[in-house]
Amino acid sequence: MEPESIDDFENELRQSLERRPAPPGFKRRLIERRSGRRTQQQRGHAVLWQRLAASVALACVLGGGLAWRHQQEQRQGEAARQQVLTALRVTSHALNKVNERLTSHGRADQE
Amino acid sequence: MKNRIAIFLLAAAALATPALAQTSPLPLPSPVEKELAARASNVTEVTLGKNMLAFAAKFMNGKDKDETNTRQLIEGLDGIYVREYEFDKEGQYSMEQIEQLRKYFETSEWSPIVRERERKTGETTDVMVKLVNGETRGMFILSAEPKELSIVLILGPIRMDELGKLKGLGGLSALGDVEKNTQGKAKEKDKKGGDQ
Repeated sequence: MEPESIDDFENELRQSLERRPAPPGFKRRLIERRSGRRTQQQRGHAVLWQRLAASVALACVLGGGLAWRHQQEQRQGEAARQQVLTALRVTSHALNKVNERLTSHGRADQE
Repeated sequence: MKNRIAIFLLAAAALATPALAQTSPLPLPSPVEKELAARASNVTEVTLGKNMLAFAAKFMNGKDKDETNTRQLIEGLDGIYVREYEFDKEGQYSMEQIEQLRKYFETSEWSPIVRERERKTGETTDVMVKLVNGETRGMFILSAEPKELSIVLILGPIRMDELGKLKGLGGLSALGDVEKNTQGKAKEKDKKGGDQ
């Protein structure tokens, strides 16, 4: 490499490395951008939490509703079962009486 | 246009009402029942349609054999209608009321298998079965004692062998005995008739 071209390179390098003042408003823009990003991040987190809370609340409401419905169904089923047993008990009672009467009549007829 | 819609809705309702009524073969309570219920000291009233019986059957989860048999029995039924009146003293109902009750439930489809009247005690017993193509499709019991009156109406296919399995509900197995007794009596009558 020639001495002239070395000088040019040095000059170029010096100019490049020379300390230059930041453009006006750079610091403000930088701070604004940083705080904006932070606000956006915070907002994103808040939305995420809100969605999570809404999902949990919805799941709780749905789960509670299903549990309540199941419980109601169980209660109604048990009541229906008891009614069937009551009906069969009355039927059983009536049939026993009929049978008793027929048996006693049969005996009386034989005698 | 509004009038047409109203007419259409009325017509639809008019057509739907008998269709809905047909879904439940169980009778409406007899007017006599109100009077009996008013005088009774203890009343048991159970009316279960096909849907309700199917629903109840779901909750008979077969913990014991009797419950399994009961489930099998009620699953095929169309309805159960039961009334039991207990009175504190005698003479709370008349024979006319009993006759009214019997006539209310009795239709041409029903054949009486037991009909008994005891003048001394005032006890009456009626057992009728509904026979369709030789199969029992219903059973009606009207049992009246001085202080107690029971009405039982079971609609649907009733298999006597299934009833006999219900040992926990002992009386239901008695239906088999009732049948035997009535058949026995009929045979005796036939024999007597044959001898003469």
